Amino acid sequence: MRLYLRSRRVPAALAGAVAGVAGLWTLWSVFSDSREVGVQLVVLTVLLSVIALTATLGGPDDELDRTAAFRWLPRRLAHLAAAFLVVVLPLLATLATGARFGPAWLVARDAAGLLGLTALGAAALGVGRAWFLPLGWTLAATLFPRSEPVLGRILTWQAQPRVSAAAAVTAGLLAVCGLLAYAVAGPARRAPAEAAQR
Amino acid sequence: MRTVSAAETAPTTHPWAVDAEGLRVRAGRHLAVDGLDLTLGLGVHGLLGPNGAGKTTLMRALATVVKPAGGRLTLLGEPAGGRADLRRVRRGIGYLPQQFGFYPRFTVREFVEYMAWLKEMPKAAVPGATQRAIDRVGLTAKADARMKTLSGGMLRRAGIAQAIVNDPALLLLDEPTVGLDPEQRLDFRELLRDVGVDSCVLVSTHLVEDVVAACTDVVLINEGRLVHHGTPDDLAAQGGAGDAGDSPAERGYSALLRRHRAAGAATPEAGR
Amino acid sequence: MSRVLRIELRRSAALGSALILLAVGTLLLFFVDRSVFTTGWMQLAMTQRLYLAVLWPLALAAGAWQGRREHRTNVTELFASTPRSRAHRAVPTLLAMALAVVAGYLAMGIAGGAWIAGTARYLPASVFAVLAVGVLALVAAVWLGLAAGRLLPSPATAPALGLAGLGVLLLLPGATRPHGWLALVFSPIYEMNLPDAYTTVPGRASVAQAVWLAALAVTAVLLVVSGGWRLRVAALLPVVLGAAVAIAAMPRDNRYVIDAVDPVARELVCAHDDPRVCVSRVHAGLLAEVVPPARAALTVLAPLPSPPTQVHEDTTTYVPARYPPWHDDVVLLRVDAGSDGHLANRDLVLAEVVAGAFAGPADCDHLAGPDEKMAAAYWLIGRAPATPGAVALWQNLRQRPEGEARARVVALRRAALGCTVQDGQLTR
Repeated sequence: MRLYLRSRRVPAALAGAVAGVAGLWTLWSVFSDSREVGVQLVVLTVLLSVIALTATLGGPDDELDRTAAFRWLPRRLAHLAAAFLVVVLPLLATLATGARFGPAWLVARDAAGLLGLTALGAAALGVGRAWFLPLGWTLAATLFPRSEPVLGRILTWQAQPRVSAAAAVTAGLLAVCGLLAYAVAGPARRAPAEAAQR
Repeated sequence: MRTVSAAETAPTTHPWAVDAEGLRVRAGRHLAVDGLDLTLGLGVHGLLGPNGAGKTTLMRALATVVKPAGGRLTLLGEPAGGRADLRRVRRGIGYLPQQFGFYPRFTVREFVEYMAWLKEMPKAAVPGATQRAIDRVGLTAKADARMKTLSGGMLRRAGIAQAIVNDPALLLLDEPTVGLDPEQRLDFRELLRDVGVDSCVLVSTHLVEDVVAACTDVVLINEGRLVHHGTPDDLAAQGGAGDAGDSPAERGYSALLRRHRAAGAATPEAGR
Repeated sequence: MSRVLRIELRRSAALGSALILLAVGTLLLFFVDRSVFTTGWMQLAMTQRLYLAVLWPLALAAGAWQGRREHRTNVTELFASTPRSRAHRAVPTLLAMALAVVAGYLAMGIAGGAWIAGTARYLPASVFAVLAVGVLALVAAVWLGLAAGRLLPSPATAPALGLAGLGVLLLLPGATRPHGWLALVFSPIYEMNLPDAYTTVPGRASVAQAVWLAALAVTAVLLVVSGGWRLRVAALLPVVLGAAVAIAAMPRDNRYVIDAVDPVARELVCAHDDPRVCVSRVHAGLLAEVVPPARAALTVLAPLPSPPTQVHEDTTTYVPARYPPWHDDVVLLRVDAGSDGHLANRDLVLAEVVAGAFAGPADCDHLAGPDEKMAAAYWLIGRAPATPGAVALWQNLRQRPEGEARARVVALRRAALGCTVQDGQLTR
């Protein structure tokens, strides 16, 4: 277990995620007077945590990992579940402090959806490129949210308020698809010559 | 044949391509090359030695990738230590490192052209030289395939192609036959002999029979020091029936190492 | 070098970056709010600059992704034995990424331009200045990304840099709070949202921003080619110098761009022959659509004593407060472009012109209310108005005998022109 964590560079990722959340929490506490953190910053913090954990979805040699005797499916599921907890728990912890990153349902929904999207990207494009779509989509969605037509709510689901059903459904779909794709297929295969590089 | 420029047909002013005197090179904190005296001229020179002997560090120093920590090193007539301007030397060097790094999305032709540009070859000569280098290593069929699709042996040959594209006066190949099948190794020996006619080639390898077949002389180093420098026949003559090995050259190799280690154990502080 | 440049354009992240910037930019242009940019070229350029909020971080991430290539592929050993210096080696990559980013941004502009090409006629020189600053911003971003990717070659650098870039853009206005002009110097997206019809970006602002961004680009190049700490520290110099010059060049008005009005855009452009219908120069492409309903409205108004004979666009700007000169025989009409580039609310132009006959000068306190104007207008037209308040007044008018209603309408117009309208005058 310890070797698995080290091969995936989990300690560094954990440190990065927690440090990012802590840093943003400190920034908000120092520079703002209101107790509730703005929705934009909450979504971007969730994105930051997810991005910090992206690299753990693949190891240095995925082909070698694939030849292991045990089944990877439950382990990948557990990995994603653990990642979800790592993203959500620090933010939920801030709900008890003076700078509340909430609401809790928003955090959970966005974490699930973004993790699913990242896992989908890892399965389709490889771990190195898994952050392309989450970053671009979330940037556009948080800066220019649309709530009028249903399509607008679906396309900018990250920034929709807690009650939005369209956003919840979209996030759920992304989470489930990503979970399935990554658990079943694992990270995308790379050409052998390329895999020898970092 | 290609057209040669006047600069190339001018007689060389340096007696040796590589002239090292008391060379010391660090690998990290460890002094991997420790007081090495070596002169190499035209021809194919094989570099043998056990793992950790300092072969790769020596190759890196000769390729001007690392600066020597002490001693005198003259490459192609120019001093190569300290604050020397290495650009002229580097134009005449071809280097294939042990860990061959490449851009996977480039095709073979594009990568060799890129390396030719990096070696400051004249622009008009690049396409012809690239094609010639690719043909010489036998990758003509794969010239427009992306490097990430190549197998290990073809990748090594692409590495050799980029090393010879500028017709270097000093060619340094670190483990070039890794992954080549026996037929490709024969072709490679032919290539080495061809290149060694008018340049100095240093091939570091573990395969003793490659050295015997293709090299004009053999350099054996151990623990950063020169053990033996002579022809392959000299190497074979050093060994007897009692030494480990399946061929005369291998027996000579193990005999020389045994003697060098014994001499080192007997006088541990000699030469420091 | 041109061979190598072509190889880099094909095989590096350049092509992908250009396509992603183009795709994201075009999606933003067309799906966020089309009516923001359909007025004209200046509005398109400013809206493109606004969407740099997404494109600038993406360019940073693209540069960092590309900058990691040498470390990711282990080529440093091989390249160390070659004569070409690191600076020289970096040039094709810098050029390729810059070209890609410029191409993506310009292509996004072309996509938006294709949408408004039919109706946008007014192209001032400041549009190109706005575009150039946007281009410079993206080039500086991608080069900064290249530097970051080279200096910190971890796989997390690219997305983290993108997020950091967004953070800087979002925090700049807050960090420079009382001094809005400082934010204008450093942020390419500041004061670019919801551009007005006659808005412009003064040349001095563009020049100051360009100086800062050029200095940023130079710093990035120095960092990309730097080998040791000396050059890296020296790279701070252009940034500091550029910031100082840019701050000195920018005027100290806190709402410099928002308050800027382009007088040429406000000038009236008129259709041939009488009755004269004029729109502002920026809406000149809509003149053909305004003329028929405007002239029809003037025909409806003709039976009134001293009827209006011209229709002009209402070029009032509220910020700063500038009102067009008032004439009694001119009806002022608000002209806007809709999200398809053509005249917005085409069906309502007739009614609005007729209702405009009952408006008064801007500095007047006793004006007719919107319901009263609409009721009178629709009475003259002969149809029912749309809003319930106007409908009630209109029915009131209809119940009266023809002569009395006409007299009331005429009286309303005279009172409006003379600034003496009393409450409920139309139906009392």
